[in-house]
Amino acid sequence: MDIKKVLNEATKEIEHSSNQLDLQNVKVAYLGKKGKITELLKSLKDLSLDEKKSLGAELNQLRSEVDYLIKSKFNKIKVEEINSKLKNESLDITFPPPNSIFPKVHPISKTFDEVISIFGSMGYSVAEGPDIETDYFNFSALNIPENHPAREMQDTFYIEDKDKDGKPFVLRTHTSPVQIRTLLKEKPPVKIIAPGRTYRCDSDSTHSPMFHQVEGLFINKNANMGDLKGTLIEFCKQFFNVQNLKVRFRPSYFPFTEPSAEMDIAYEVVNNKIKLGQGDRWLEILGCGMVNPIVLENCNVDTKNFQGFAFGMGLDRITMLKYGLTDIRSFFSGNLNWIANNGFSIGDF
Amino acid sequence: MKFSYSWLCEHLETDKNAIEIGDALTNIGLELESLSDYSSYSKFVVATIKDFKKHPNADRLNICNVDDGTDTYQVICGANNVKRGLKGIFAKDGMYIPGTQIYLKKGKIRGEISEGMLLSERELNLSDDHEGIIELSEDFKNGTSAVEALKLDDPIFEIGITPNRGDCLSIRGVARDLSAKGMGKLKPLKFEKINKLDFESPISWSIKNDDNSCEYVVSRYFKDVNNTKSPEWLQKKLISIGLRPINALVDITNFITVDLGRPLHVFDADKVGKKLDMRLANSNEKILALDNKDYTLDGNSTVIADSNNALAIAGIIGGDYSGCTEDTKNVFLEVAIFNPNSVAKTGRSLGINSDARYRFERGLDKNMVFEGLEYASYLINKICGGSVSKSIDAGKLDTKEHKIKYDFKYFNKIIGLDLEPQTQVKILNDLKFQINERIDNVCDVLVPSWRNDVKNDIDIVEEIIRIYGYDNIKVSIPFSSGDEINNIENSLVNKKFKTISKLKKTLISNGISEVITFSFHSNRAQEILTSDASLKISNAISDDQSFMRNSMIFNHLESAELNIKKGIKNIQLFEIGPIYNSSQSQENILSLLISSQDNTNSIYKSVNFNFYSLTELLSKLIISLNFDIKQFNISRSTSNIYHPGQSAKVHMGKKIIARYGKVHPLIMEEFPKLKNTYAIELFFENLPIESISRVNSINISDSQFQFSEKDFSFIFEKEQNLYEVQRYVTGIDKNLIKNVEFFDLYESKDLGDSSKSVTFRVTIQSKEKTLEEKDLEHLHKNILEKVSNKFKAKIRT
Repeated sequence: MDIKKVLNEATKEIEHSSNQLDLQNVKVAYLGKKGKITELLKSLKDLSLDEKKSLGAELNQLRSEVDYLIKSKFNKIKVEEINSKLKNESLDITFPPPNSIFPKVHPISKTFDEVISIFGSMGYSVAEGPDIETDYFNFSALNIPENHPAREMQDTFYIEDKDKDGKPFVLRTHTSPVQIRTLLKEKPPVKIIAPGRTYRCDSDSTHSPMFHQVEGLFINKNANMGDLKGTLIEFCKQFFNVQNLKVRFRPSYFPFTEPSAEMDIAYEVVNNKIKLGQGDRWLEILGCGMVNPIVLENCNVDTKNFQGFAFGMGLDRITMLKYGLTDIRSFFSGNLNWIANNGFSIGDF
Repeated sequence: MKFSYSWLCEHLETDKNAIEIGDALTNIGLELESLSDYSSYSKFVVATIKDFKKHPNADRLNICNVDDGTDTYQVICGANNVKRGLKGIFAKDGMYIPGTQIYLKKGKIRGEISEGMLLSERELNLSDDHEGIIELSEDFKNGTSAVEALKLDDPIFEIGITPNRGDCLSIRGVARDLSAKGMGKLKPLKFEKINKLDFESPISWSIKNDDNSCEYVVSRYFKDVNNTKSPEWLQKKLISIGLRPINALVDITNFITVDLGRPLHVFDADKVGKKLDMRLANSNEKILALDNKDYTLDGNSTVIADSNNALAIAGIIGGDYSGCTEDTKNVFLEVAIFNPNSVAKTGRSLGINSDARYRFERGLDKNMVFEGLEYASYLINKICGGSVSKSIDAGKLDTKEHKIKYDFKYFNKIIGLDLEPQTQVKILNDLKFQINERIDNVCDVLVPSWRNDVKNDIDIVEEIIRIYGYDNIKVSIPFSSGDEINNIENSLVNKKFKTISKLKKTLISNGISEVITFSFHSNRAQEILTSDASLKISNAISDDQSFMRNSMIFNHLESAELNIKKGIKNIQLFEIGPIYNSSQSQENILSLLISSQDNTNSIYKSVNFNFYSLTELLSKLIISLNFDIKQFNISRSTSNIYHPGQSAKVHMGKKIIARYGKVHPLIMEEFPKLKNTYAIELFFENLPIESISRVNSINISDSQFQFSEKDFSFIFEKEQNLYEVQRYVTGIDKNLIKNVEFFDLYESKDLGDSSKSVTFRVTIQSKEKTLEEKDLEHLHKNILEKVSNKFKAKIRT
């Protein structure tokens, strides 16, 4: 019996098999229960021990060789079959996606986030109060009595409904009533910021009937005007991302702070764009001051032992300055193109 | 307030220039709003057009031969008033033209060389006039500077005065404050008192005892005056600050109002009775005022009246009838003190903003009454001639000085700066505050009569630091304490803002953009959504902003409509902000709107958005806050905002967590451009957020053993809440049932109108072993029996 011959025949048949079925038939013909190689192995039992040894080894060699060839061919056929199938599954990968709007957060949201985080790092928690306020909280408690000319600094919206003093509710003209609400609720030391919506009846490209402010209040035993300056300079450096920041504090007047100040930031115009930090022109950023003892007394705070400062700034304004936006009305128009152009994607938020 | 440098210098002896004065004004709290300083205009000079001819290549241009006194230049000029001999203002090559913000450059215009420019007023920023080039009188010599020729040597200041500083609503007041800052010396007032007061006033005063606002009034009668035009110096002064000269008497009162801050009034004495009263107006009393408007007064306003009529509204405006004209022969001058509060109240209720009201309501210097009287008498007599009566007055002037107890250490405590008492005293004295009864660090401070705003010791601190300079306050570095950081960690509001940030991130990742819209509702929204009528804004700017909103959906529909008009097809937007249930109840919610138009893209087929897509999105949002929508109760929404059959309410007991669904077709009729519109309102403030930062309320079991799945179909009653079924099935064996997922819903006529067929898949997995067939079969049987019993459901096979 010629083992070589069997191997040659098997090799030839395996090579000629072009699909899995043919190959399976070859496998049965050689390695199946009645296959040629199986039969040969069976016939070994009639031989002598020596012959069994030598021929058995050769036959086993033959069987594993054929088995290997069949498996290899199987793999080859499978890969060829998949490859030919994949050819038919080819797509036009250049078909462009539909245009979709870029989802973004509003720039004011980004400012809210930054303001909360920067003041948070200085120890300020967030407080809040309602947009619809009583006359008392919005004005009187803040040392702005009725008929005081300071009331005309702010054009107030009134609501038809009246409060328990018989006065119409107002839309808060500033976030300062949160000072009163917080001091009535919590004992000093108090260190809070209160961002939120505010309203004045005024509408043009720099004034919106609704806008945003953040209030700050720090009351403890010794918070002084130097601390106030330091706090606000540090905030502006971080918010506007300008380390070398030229600022100016100048006397001003708010009935609820004494002394009062306004803070200006220096700027210059470079290539028709405002550059903050240096220069000989000034931009008003915020109002601030030491809380007027009259206000503290209105909140039952012991003014012999406690003092502190407050500040308020327009969040829309600092957002416009930081990102070079010009028309506040576009902030609240709901225009998705504007949001896509000026908002922030999730990674930048 | 507006004033010129030269006018200021009539009260202030100073060697400081306008820029230094301007800086000082801002530093002491009188904010410089603008300073017109034309000193740089000295480079522009007077020049003559000696000759001109038409430009060969341009009809509208002329080639001029211009002489500036030292040289001649060829200038191409397009002005229509070019003529031989015209004297104008000339700018040479390289000069900066302020009105156009351009540096002039010698060059060719249409082929002809131009070596300079003749300027218009607009090019010099003097006015908007660009009709032609400036034409000057022939008297000016060529080469004279523009500053001299155009009289630009007197800079004009415009400053903002805060409501507390009534004392600086006059040029004298400003000069006084500047002198305290070391910017010069306050000059004494320079007018002569009239010696000859040789007759009694035929008109007399009485102040009625009826709570009217007059404290004191003093007057003089001027006989045989000649009310002509004012002299040039007076006219020029008024023009320099933007006031229009009228006649001498009116101009004098306006001048003294601005110069001394002392409003006063002149009556035509022949048009008023002999006895004048200060009294409260009768209700509905009418007066035609000098502004030519009729006013109807109420019983709280003070008027000046004779026996017949109200003649003036006290401290606010005079009456038209008794006003002085050029025919006035006899004059009655009134100088009074009125209560600031009353003036403010009347002025505001009548809506009159006059210079007098502005000053009265901020409080006048009571000691200025007599200076005002004398100064006005002097000027009337000097300009209009005639003779002057003795003074006649009524009431009593309360000029008691205000005294404040002050501790010098208080300054250091508030400002954080050790300032020696002597430095503080020096500043106070410069401001004319007097120090009395000083013992160590404590003293009495006497407040000058013009500083009504200084009431308490904190106001003294403010005065000192205002003059000492805010720039000199030492900056200290802020820090945060452990307690404060702890407060932030525990603050509910901080947690709420964290929640808001999480929601925003989830929304953006789901392709939804953020908008911020006004807190208002339009009239249209109010009609359709009918919020609380008491939330109407009494003084709304427009019908679009006339109520406080009780939902954001209408605003968002309007935004969607706007964006559709801009060509955006698929609107996905959200807002996190307040809505108002009543004047005393507002809450922050998330409101989102999705409005998708037909998708015509045959390649990128997106599944049409429907109620269930919305449920899935809401579920994702709730999961992003570490809650599970299945924790809450779900029922149909009764809100009129939504389609009654395609909307739901998610709640926890009585607290509403969310409301969502298809927007009601009746509302959508208002927005015909929008199709397929859905909304979610998430009332995230009602979630127990105090727990979410630490506790993860979702707990998913994880096992390494083999799991098995089995599908069940039941026929339920149509209104059966499937969340309940899901919760019930999960609870049948908490250890083995890992997941219950609904995947098919079938309603048809064969089932009847009141039934629905539902299929769900139960995933079964043990944490301890691979389950055997008999365990599974037991559980399957259990589920079938329990569900059919509990919900009266038929098993579908």
